Amino acid sequence: MTTTGVPGPPLSQRRLRFVLGKGGVGKSTVAAALGLATARSGGRALVVEVAGQHRLSQLFSAGRVSEETATELRPGLFGISIDAERATEEYLAGQLKIRPLVELLTHSKAFHTFAAAAPGLPELVTIGKIWSLAIALREDGGAPVWDTVTVDCPATGHGIALLETAGNIEELAAGGPIRDQAARIQEVVSHPAATGIVIVARPHELAVAEAIEATQTMRGHGLPVAAAVLNGVHPERFSTDDAPALATVAEDPGPLGEAARAGLRHLERQEDDDAYRARLAAETGLPVIDLPRLVRRRMDLPALELLADALAAGVPGAEPVR
Amino acid sequence: MIHDLLSRRLVICCGTGGVGKTTISAALALRLAQGGARTVVVTIDPARRLASALGMSGLSDEPERVPAGALLGQGTGELWALQLDAKATFDRLVSRYAADEEARTRILENRIYRHLSGAVAGAQEYMAVERLNELVEDGRFECIVLDTPPATNALDFLDAPQRITRFIEGRALRLLLRPGAVGGAGGLGWKILHAGSGTVLSLLERLTGAQLLRDVSDFLAGFDGMYQGFAERAEAVRALLLSEQSGFVVIAATEPDSLGQAVALSERLTADGFPLAGVILNRVHPLPPGDPPAPQELARALAGAGAADAEALAANAAAALADERVLGLRDLEARRELHAAIGSGGLIEVPWFAHEPVELPGIAEVAAVLAL
Repeated sequence: MTTTGVPGPPLSQRRLRFVLGKGGVGKSTVAAALGLATARSGGRALVVEVAGQHRLSQLFSAGRVSEETATELRPGLFGISIDAERATEEYLAGQLKIRPLVELLTHSKAFHTFAAAAPGLPELVTIGKIWSLAIALREDGGAPVWDTVTVDCPATGHGIALLETAGNIEELAAGGPIRDQAARIQEVVSHPAATGIVIVARPHELAVAEAIEATQTMRGHGLPVAAAVLNGVHPERFSTDDAPALATVAEDPGPLGEAARAGLRHLERQEDDDAYRARLAAETGLPVIDLPRLVRRRMDLPALELLADALAAGVPGAEPVR
Repeated sequence: MIHDLLSRRLVICCGTGGVGKTTISAALALRLAQGGARTVVVTIDPARRLASALGMSGLSDEPERVPAGALLGQGTGELWALQLDAKATFDRLVSRYAADEEARTRILENRIYRHLSGAVAGAQEYMAVERLNELVEDGRFECIVLDTPPATNALDFLDAPQRITRFIEGRALRLLLRPGAVGGAGGLGWKILHAGSGTVLSLLERLTGAQLLRDVSDFLAGFDGMYQGFAERAEAVRALLLSEQSGFVVIAATEPDSLGQAVALSERLTADGFPLAGVILNRVHPLPPGDPPAPQELARALAGAGAADAEALAANAAAALADERVLGLRDLEARRELHAAIGSGGLIEVPWFAHEPVELPGIAEVAAVLAL
């Protein structure tokens, strides 16, 4: 959808995706469905969860997703969970090379004081780990390990903090390895050819308002927002032409009236959804992808497949161009 | 439950993201104001959601009167709202405890401080608690309703004061790095004075660069002498939150995940000794009464009412009704589960509204079902 004026290639061609939005809008589901879309077209997809959410294991009824290595959830679809503490140790090990030195540091009080006082250190090691996954190359031949890396971000405010952290540290530290590291991470995270941020909303006032504001904030910080997802859109079952007949039958006190009233309520929600979609598109300038509202007791794999279909249809080439 | 809340100074609304915390907080505050209390609702959310829920163009760090006159009736109650500005609160706290003007400026202008107070999530949560403290001291309000910040762990903000004071206390680094403490010596001087930690510091410096480490040390040194004040305040807030002056309200949505988290949250609050006032089950879908109509009969009725393609329309109306049944059954089960887990005392249900409850009339609709 190059017509919308969003800089950069379509989402499909960006390896690193961050899925962001208000709490409860379905970020985990969208992240998993994006990964599933890659896997189904033959790519290798990694879905990353942060801050101990463990939603992936629930979605795929798998055992706990590992914090160490990627766990295969479905053919071609892998999950990993990033824990800031473990990522810090990994980072230190990579920098210091010598194991006893790492232990000396992580066991010292001075280090913990520093870690608590240095703003955004847990976020930095988290985004650093994500970055290293996104740029990892296979040992044979140097092709990327992952065709797509999709991050299920924490809720809006904390999610934006995660995305901004490398830029902040780059600004904060005048020199030294941490600054260099932050600069390398920031280069990838802010580059529209490499990274795409997907902002998720539900067709509700507060979620849409938050998505619009988050998009503006992130653009202001030079972060590449690529698409918006409107999750839970009522299927188009009725048109306004149906309203008079439904309204007449709705007068019936029995089951007929009940069904007609359910139809009218659905029509109202359809109209609300349309209004929210229009507002989201107009105020963000983003392509808006609809995900259908799936009425069931619990999100499950067949439901996820349906959402992956909708994403594949909604994003031109949601599947990777290989 | 509402009656019980009227006797508390602080009402803390917690729950995971997306359960409707902001809307319920606003509605609870309106209900308390209708009950005669001068009430303020506080949100930490930077996304201006409370303002839009109250139909106001914006909110600031100072309480503003919500134009709810007609909704409040003849009582003496008032409704106010404020949106937390974490940075402003932190600045005030620093000003309060800084020994002198120089110490104050030194912190406020430190680069680490500027990033910390504005951007870091933990600091925001701490400031929410601190703002509560200020409002209690202020004495203007009989009821203070807090819409807690969204967090993976909904109780993060309760631990925030302890976390922040712990780090300000961080003596190890402060003593080691305080400029002047080792006669202005560089890395070598530290090593000589503190042989054990010297290695650690040089390792740290290798990672961070000397300048960042110096900034952090300056920052920590700036708080010297303020620790006591911070710690006392953190302790005071905690005591208030644990006392009968506070009431925690857990907000749950009917989706299975959300329900489980709400139960866990209630259990943890109780286990930690925080006074749980009740649970609100939000957006409960009613179960449509009776059996679904026979398809042909519905199609005939719609055809009689002038529908063009009555059969297709009947199928769609039946599908809409079937959706409502699925959700109605799911929510019945949610209610049953919640009853089993927490008992029926202190449980309030808020129905799902066909139109999203926004702006003051919407909030008033929700407030109306929060029975006294």
